[in-house]
Amino acid sequence: MKGRHFREWSVAAVLGLVLAALAVSAPDFYQPRQLAAMLTETAPILLLACGMSLVILCRQIDISVGSQFAVCGVAAGLMAQQGTPMPVVAVVSVLSGAAFGAFNGMLVAGLGLPSIVVTLATMVTWREALRWWREGEYVRDLPTGFQWFGLSQELGQGTLLAIAVCIFLGLAVALRHLAGGRYIYAVGSDAEAARLAGINPRWITFGVFVLMGALAGLAALVSAVRFPDVDPKAGTGHELRAIAAAVVGGVAITGGRGNLWGVLAGALLLAIIAPALVFWGAPPQWERAIQGGIILTAVAADGWRKRKEPR
Amino acid sequence: MKIAWKQIVWRPETLLLAVFVAEFVIFAQTGNNFTSTSNLFEIARLSVTIGLLALAMTPVILTGGIDLSVGSLLGLCAVCFGKLWRDFGLPPLLAAVCTLVIGALAGGLNAALITRLRLPPLIVTLGSYSLFRGLAEALTRGVDNFTGFPASFLFLGQGYLFGVIPAQVPIFLAAAIAIWLLVHCTVFGRSYRAIGFSPEGARFAGLPVESRIASVYLLSGVMAAVAALIYVAHVGQAKADAGSGFELLAVTAVVLGGTSIFGGVGTVQGTVLGLGVLAVLRNGLFMSDQPSELANILTGALLLFILAGGVAVEKLSALRARRSAPVPPLSHE
Amino acid sequence: MPETPLLQLERIRKSFGAVRALRGVSFELRAGEVHALLGENGAGKTTLIKVITGAHPPDDGAMYVHGKTVHALRPADAHALGIAAIYQQPALFPDLTVAENIALALEPLNPFRRVCWKTRRKRAQELLARVGAEFSEETEVRALSMPEQQLVEIAKALGSGARILIMDEPTASLTQKEVRLLLGVVRKLRIEGVGIIYISHRLEEIFEVADRVTVLRDGESLGTRALSDVNSAQLIRLMVGRDVEAIYPPAGYEPGVTMLEVERLDAPKAGVHEVSFSVRAGEILGFAGLVGAGRTELARVLFGIEPPAAGVIRLRGRPIVVRNPRDAVAHGIAYVPEDRRRHGVILEMPVAANATMAIHRRLFPRGWLRRVKEEALARDFVRELGIKTASVDSPAGTLSGGNQQKVALARWLATNPKVLILDEPTQGVDIGAKAEIHRILRTLAAEGMAIILISSDLPEVLGMSDRIAVMRGGRIVATLNGASADADAVMTAALGTTGEAAA
Repeated sequence: MKGRHFREWSVAAVLGLVLAALAVSAPDFYQPRQLAAMLTETAPILLLACGMSLVILCRQIDISVGSQFAVCGVAAGLMAQQGTPMPVVAVVSVLSGAAFGAFNGMLVAGLGLPSIVVTLATMVTWREALRWWREGEYVRDLPTGFQWFGLSQELGQGTLLAIAVCIFLGLAVALRHLAGGRYIYAVGSDAEAARLAGINPRWITFGVFVLMGALAGLAALVSAVRFPDVDPKAGTGHELRAIAAAVVGGVAITGGRGNLWGVLAGALLLAIIAPALVFWGAPPQWERAIQGGIILTAVAADGWRKRKEPR
Repeated sequence: MKIAWKQIVWRPETLLLAVFVAEFVIFAQTGNNFTSTSNLFEIARLSVTIGLLALAMTPVILTGGIDLSVGSLLGLCAVCFGKLWRDFGLPPLLAAVCTLVIGALAGGLNAALITRLRLPPLIVTLGSYSLFRGLAEALTRGVDNFTGFPASFLFLGQGYLFGVIPAQVPIFLAAAIAIWLLVHCTVFGRSYRAIGFSPEGARFAGLPVESRIASVYLLSGVMAAVAALIYVAHVGQAKADAGSGFELLAVTAVVLGGTSIFGGVGTVQGTVLGLGVLAVLRNGLFMSDQPSELANILTGALLLFILAGGVAVEKLSALRARRSAPVPPLSHE
Repeated sequence: MPETPLLQLERIRKSFGAVRALRGVSFELRAGEVHALLGENGAGKTTLIKVITGAHPPDDGAMYVHGKTVHALRPADAHALGIAAIYQQPALFPDLTVAENIALALEPLNPFRRVCWKTRRKRAQELLARVGAEFSEETEVRALSMPEQQLVEIAKALGSGARILIMDEPTASLTQKEVRLLLGVVRKLRIEGVGIIYISHRLEEIFEVADRVTVLRDGESLGTRALSDVNSAQLIRLMVGRDVEAIYPPAGYEPGVTMLEVERLDAPKAGVHEVSFSVRAGEILGFAGLVGAGRTELARVLFGIEPPAAGVIRLRGRPIVVRNPRDAVAHGIAYVPEDRRRHGVILEMPVAANATMAIHRRLFPRGWLRRVKEEALARDFVRELGIKTASVDSPAGTLSGGNQQKVALARWLATNPKVLILDEPTQGVDIGAKAEIHRILRTLAAEGMAIILISSDLPEVLGMSDRIAVMRGGRIVATLNGASADADAVMTAALGTTGEAAA
């Protein structure tokens, strides 16, 4: 078959081109510090994008992840403030995310409600509940063990990236090499055929939402430790960044197609726009417009290819 | 007669109306000046912008689609209007007309991608959501804020007719009636439903499926532009972040109003009612000195409750009604 | 044979509402045997398979597998008992590779198990080689043709180690070469001791590969014979043998001018090859043929749903271009589709809205709905066609199948078509409604409409048609006179047992 991973490679190629162009025109971009800052900023988005990819592969969507992210981040901050040891904070953050995911999954897989509306509702609810509770207040006076896990900035960044890379690799490998990962593809590709093959689409869908929530919790933690205090408004718009990374990375919104390597390329491509604009001296305000343009180009290209290829 | 009664009671509009009335009764007790005429008109004024978006969203969802780009488009149109008026020196009327054209073009972009390339509306409008907001930010370099509009224009959003009726209320009413007529009284509305229920079935009936789908996204774009003008006139300024999150409120109002997200089922009066419930909830809680967050939380909870309730009712009735006997598989297909 | 049969069915009965699909079928399958199941469309073969695979529990009768009684069989039990079925419509995952599709059917269900891609590929390669497939196991299923997907299904069944294998028209869409390979696979399986229930309309295949044959007619088994004891003429007679003419309304009028003329219409993508025919005003042209012979596809081309690659369509002598259903409607061509529930009516919408859906422009010239006018028109049709419905406001989905079909018919009659194409108009319709639909068609023809009647119901085609075009493999292979044609002649042409001379 010609180019089974054509889609992923083309995104990677565009990313490579931008990187090459930057190397020629703005070598300063490759300063380690600059790169580390960019990558640590992208790490939470990548985690969310991985979870979102699983959800989309399953032919669902979750737009409540930004709110889950915010609640988990604040919860982690508050616990750290109380002097809870960091490992416990991490576990609770992930578990609370998983609980949010389970709530979505229950409504979507259990009751068969459309995921777009369910997660729309939970997105508003969690976000506003947080605002009501915290009244927009930052979580301050965090113990020194919170920011960068109590390490130096370099070490902290390293740890953070290591976590993101491990999770990414783990998920990418599991998605490809664990039967459960393949069931996600099967359910997203044809839920009825999956049922005939003995797979229970409801449990798979539920599981995917739980995993998405857990990843949102982890991403929130990884994001929060970058700062001395926790912003209760964090994560606004993250759902769209995650979806964008997945879609640009070649995950078909109709389910069953795509892989996490493409998502990695997509996430990096979208993340690199802002710094690239800065280095090229372009107004940084164009970032979102360019992101939107990339998303539309990616889906339009998919549509074009589908139209051309015989049924 | 008995059956007719049941149908009326179980219509989502009826349930919603009950919620609406309950809200009134409660807030009349708890709120200061809640039931005063001026406050009621204030509720109407605040809900016009989102209301216009929700009205146009109704036919979109009826066809089984969704338009997530309207909030961003509102921002883009607001900024464009400001720029046309201030930087290009166009008179407000001409700038407004140009803004409407921009809205139509933006809606046309969505329509073209959805019908020509057969892409899912969810993902197309998610992309244009980013694009439109991004363009608005780019045009204003993220900081520019257009203010100082002439009073004649601001009247649209701040003035009163006969001293009591906010100027935008008649516009909303006109739009509501127009869309109600479109959805309920024309062949367009009929085909939107047919497409929402079964796009293939509509095609086999010889309906122009593609152009009908295109029309709802076009309408949605134009309506976002209208909403932008009223919004700018109301708040007196045009910034790139205008209308953030409005798409979600619009979808919420529509779904709350009983329109099925799967398409086919829904009414415009339901949307107006859904909008009313949202607006009264907000205002009532505000007048009762409750935080606005509570209103939003209740909105989300109400949406889930109504959805889950609908499913529960459906499952119950499916259990009771013996589904017509399974079609005997007489052929090999 | 002293050994116990693999599978034994005794007096199986199964009804769907008022329709008695199986009325006492007995059947036996031995190890190492290819047992052909033969019958017209609607004779009950599919229902019988569903009973064996546990999809439909039988109402009455006994079933033994390996000599043991089986009660309340569910699909999972059937699978465990080594029963596997291959249907015409494959249940595959279009986005996944062939190897993975096979693997998902065979591997134990455990989400935490490690996937060994090497094993998957190797096993897929072996199985694909066994079925003689020429595509790679790495191909995505969506890129495969229908026959290729069929082969994947067979590979899946082989891999599951099925002892009882049901093949439902496995060769319906295969090329000659693929058929050879497949029959080779069947023979090999027989030697391995697998019992195969082989359903096919291609008699020559049955004679080539099967040991015994059981003929079903109207839900009854007409006994089992060894294939060495019968010839094809006898089998055809067994399948169709019944008196049909009596119940159909007589024609009794003369067709008029040529209404629709089709010349060398070619749509290879849809599977229609150089079809030429004409139909006159007042004439009913029947289209007979096996399922998959290209009749529905031809209708879709005429109605503008599938684009033609070449050929001319003339309406009253003038060439017309039909690019989409709207064009077809504008030219006066109407199509009552085969899949009533998906395409024929919109189930959720009221009868009245369904009936007027194709005439929006005429009925509502300004675009405003006019309910009084619409309901009056719908009520006229309800009366004229005898549609049984509570009111014209009831959703079409609440009506019985026959009445839904009449609503679909009403929609197109409302357009005053010159040419009316009906695709399996009486499929799944009870006998009373069926007779009414036939009466309506006769009346329409008498009023001067040109009617194309696609039907797999042989007595219907014979009883209703003035002329009968028989299709096979996307071509018209014979055109018979409706008055003189009989079931044997139609079946012979459709099955292709006597060559293509008749064309």
